[in-house]
Amino acid sequence: MSGETLSAPPGKWTGLLPLWRQTPLSFRIGLIVLLIHVAVAVTGPFWVPYGFSQMGTGRPLSGMSWAHPFGVDQLGRDIFSRVVYGGHLVILLSISGTLLGLVVGAVLGLLSGYVGGWFDEILQRVLEALISIPFLVLALLAIAAAGPELSGNPVLIVLVVALVYAPRIARMARSVAVEIATRDHVTVARLRGESAWSVMRRELLPNSTSVLLVEFALRAGYAPVLIGSLGFLGFGLRPPTPEWGLMISENRALIIITPITVLGPGLALASLVVGLNLFTEGLARILGRTVKLGVQ
Amino acid sequence: MRSTPVIAVETLSVSYRQGSGFLRVVEDVSFSVSPGEVFGLVGESGCGKSTIALQLLGYRAPAMRTDGGEIRFEGRDLLALDRPELDRIRGARIAFVPQNPTTALNPGIRIGAQIDEILRAHSSGDSRQRDKRTLELFGLVGLPAHSEFSRRFPHQLSGGQQQRVCIAMALACEPAFVVLDEPTTGLDVTTQEQIVALLVDLRARLGMSMLYVTHDLGLLSQIADRVGVMYAGRMVEIAPTANLFTDPKHPYTRGLIGSIPRIEDRSGLPARPLRGLLQRHELPAGCPFAPRCDWATAQCFEEEQKLQAAGVNREVACWRWPEIEVPADARAVVAAEEVDHVDPLLVIDNVSVVYGAGRNAFRALRDISLDVGERETVALVGESGSGKSSLARAVAGLIAPAEGSIRLGGKQLQGHVGDRTPEQRRLIQFVFQNPDASLNPRARIAKALSRPLEFFFGRASTDAITAALSDVRLDGKYAARFPDELSGGERQRVAIARGLIAEPTLLLCDEILSALDVSVQASILALLQRLKSERGIAMLFISHDLAVVRMLADRVCVLFGGDIMEIGRRDQIFSAPFHPYTHSLLEAVPTPLKPSPHRGPARDAIATPPVSGCAYAGRCAWQIGDVCERERPPWRETEQGLRIRCHHSLEELARRATWPDAAKTEDRRSIP
Repeated sequence: MSGETLSAPPGKWTGLLPLWRQTPLSFRIGLIVLLIHVAVAVTGPFWVPYGFSQMGTGRPLSGMSWAHPFGVDQLGRDIFSRVVYGGHLVILLSISGTLLGLVVGAVLGLLSGYVGGWFDEILQRVLEALISIPFLVLALLAIAAAGPELSGNPVLIVLVVALVYAPRIARMARSVAVEIATRDHVTVARLRGESAWSVMRRELLPNSTSVLLVEFALRAGYAPVLIGSLGFLGFGLRPPTPEWGLMISENRALIIITPITVLGPGLALASLVVGLNLFTEGLARILGRTVKLGVQ
Repeated sequence: MRSTPVIAVETLSVSYRQGSGFLRVVEDVSFSVSPGEVFGLVGESGCGKSTIALQLLGYRAPAMRTDGGEIRFEGRDLLALDRPELDRIRGARIAFVPQNPTTALNPGIRIGAQIDEILRAHSSGDSRQRDKRTLELFGLVGLPAHSEFSRRFPHQLSGGQQQRVCIAMALACEPAFVVLDEPTTGLDVTTQEQIVALLVDLRARLGMSMLYVTHDLGLLSQIADRVGVMYAGRMVEIAPTANLFTDPKHPYTRGLIGSIPRIEDRSGLPARPLRGLLQRHELPAGCPFAPRCDWATAQCFEEEQKLQAAGVNREVACWRWPEIEVPADARAVVAAEEVDHVDPLLVIDNVSVVYGAGRNAFRALRDISLDVGERETVALVGESGSGKSSLARAVAGLIAPAEGSIRLGGKQLQGHVGDRTPEQRRLIQFVFQNPDASLNPRARIAKALSRPLEFFFGRASTDAITAALSDVRLDGKYAARFPDELSGGERQRVAIARGLIAEPTLLLCDEILSALDVSVQASILALLQRLKSERGIAMLFISHDLAVVRMLADRVCVLFGGDIMEIGRRDQIFSAPFHPYTHSLLEAVPTPLKPSPHRGPARDAIATPPVSGCAYAGRCAWQIGDVCERERPPWRETEQGLRIRCHHSLEELARRATWPDAAKTEDRRSIP
């Protein structure tokens, strides 16, 4: 997800500094916030003072202190350590869920836009039906349908995020495909007798990357909120996993006594979402400047 | 002509900021415009002509730097004036007509108010006087001079009317000098003709001086008194228009004039194209044109010749001009071999193409029968909507014909490309009009060329790609580039190479020259001629440009409203008897130094073509009467095999033909 390689021509690392100066401010701030998040998520487990399920680290509900910046919960666990441990979980789940949704959505959308006909008609109606369900409801439905054995499994969370996003991404990909499919180079491929899959891979996909990238980034920016909401409602990961939404939910009863135990994970979640969104918005502007975006 | 000039440019040099440095775009240019004179400035895109046009208004873009020289106008140096002084001159003494009237007019302000703005800024006078002047201006430029019209918004006007409003704005304060930057480029051909006629007329009535910037040399022959030819930021030749066309001195001017395809040329020889392209970063120390010049010597590459006198009123920047004797239009390129009798390769039999269904069905082609022989080039000619592209798309398998059959090499072709065999798909290749759209912008050239090889032959090698590129006269290093790193002409070459690499027997070319500059067109045309004689590929060549068709085609088929009007060997098409439609097409072709014939008001494009009668009935100038609308005309065939579909007899058609000296074209091979 390093932003520099996206805007630089391939294989040229030398001109990065002037390039960095040309990027929008929001992109730079977002990128810095994201890099801090990633750095903490990757290195955090090696330097945090306590384990994520270690109890008795301090006096329960003792509030903010130098030893416990985000306070201590009812079981005596250090919230700061738990937040740091949770970082890689949230980032990994968000990215992989969105990525899966992007792959499925892009393939379906591009094919549907190129092939057209009844395949397109049926697929679009199904997608519209899925989109019409509010996404939290859709996610809860999917989790309920998956049954109790699977609930709390990180793979299920990834699948649910993908399920929520794929129809939306597919709609976008379809509109791009419809536009590209009328271009002459696609007609040339069709005259050659290329299969729909081959046309999608060679002609449509390379020309829709900018739109799909922006779409990916926008969706990824909201994924932590979705995962957090699931955790908060108790349909996400199981305790004692230090997932941020789950932690907010666990500690919400303590909000009067030690507000920091809720604010800490909340702050982490908020900064990740804000960072992702700033980065995304900047990226969209960079891509929009160099490549024509599809119909938004 | 050498009275005190209205405006004089002296040793002007201009640079643009590029990255961290400056790029010189105008180098040491001097010229002057006399009172009442129209000076034309011509050159390829990027030669610096628009930069000069802006400098004449004292306008400097933020990234622009004037390195030296002066522009003298009414005793003052425009480049030394400050902003308030410039504001007083601009619009009042020097006016500007922009290229694109749609963006030049404010869409939110009524046109009358926009003209009033200029009058208010420059001349006093109360609002009644200004209103009167506005209406006067409308009348002057041929717009309805009543106040209802001046209350319209720009979007309620056609492109031609918008440009007239822009011209009216420029004339509002009776300027001494008007700068026109490509004023007709964005307009279609008939509107362009009207605007040029208006400018010629205005100049005769008002006696104003103009600088006319354009890339279209043919256009200048109709309006300019003198022409300055620019190349790579230098003025390379200045000459009175008539002399320039009959006796160009600079090799670049010769190339430009030689590149214009000419309709009278019945020799079937291609124009003499300019070699290569202007590449600013590869200019030699000496003459910038030296790398593309046929006469360049070692001296040309090292020393630059300044503009020097070369006869009365003429200046040329060339070391070698006195020695160059060859006429500019010596069209000494191999003649296309005449294909006499050939076996039919493609047989189109009673094909109809229908778009839509039921009530909205539109019949794009009705009952077309046509065959293309092996090694033969058949041109399809007609205006937009004539069905020529539909025919190509039906042959390619993009639309299935509603009726009739298409056979290739004796075998029936399925209607849809997906149902055809891979071999059949390989044998027919399509080259599109717009090379920007027909190449995948995200695939390198090598990939665009290797895919057909992989697909049809199962293997692709670098050698084969290099060979395909050299076939279309491109270097092998182009393989690693992306389409946006190529010029339009180079992209079209790649598109042709992609077609040829599949080793087809039939190449469908859909208006492949119309998106290109005239000098590039000529070189692609030469390439096609060579491919035709070397590889023996049959072509179905679609074009609206009769001059191009005359150079390339063996047989010509004239289409109108989805029906064939006339079909025959090239020479027969271009000589009497003509079908009325062919005749009107030939009449409309503009030719340098030939005043465009005065025609009646242009009739609108096809109303609904009559279902049963002649497709051309509604627009025909030689229409007999009701019979044309009622009955489908019969085929009439001459002894030489020319077939015309018309109710008139062949003798009658031959008698009515007036297209320039149909009989005398033999003498017009070279330019007078």
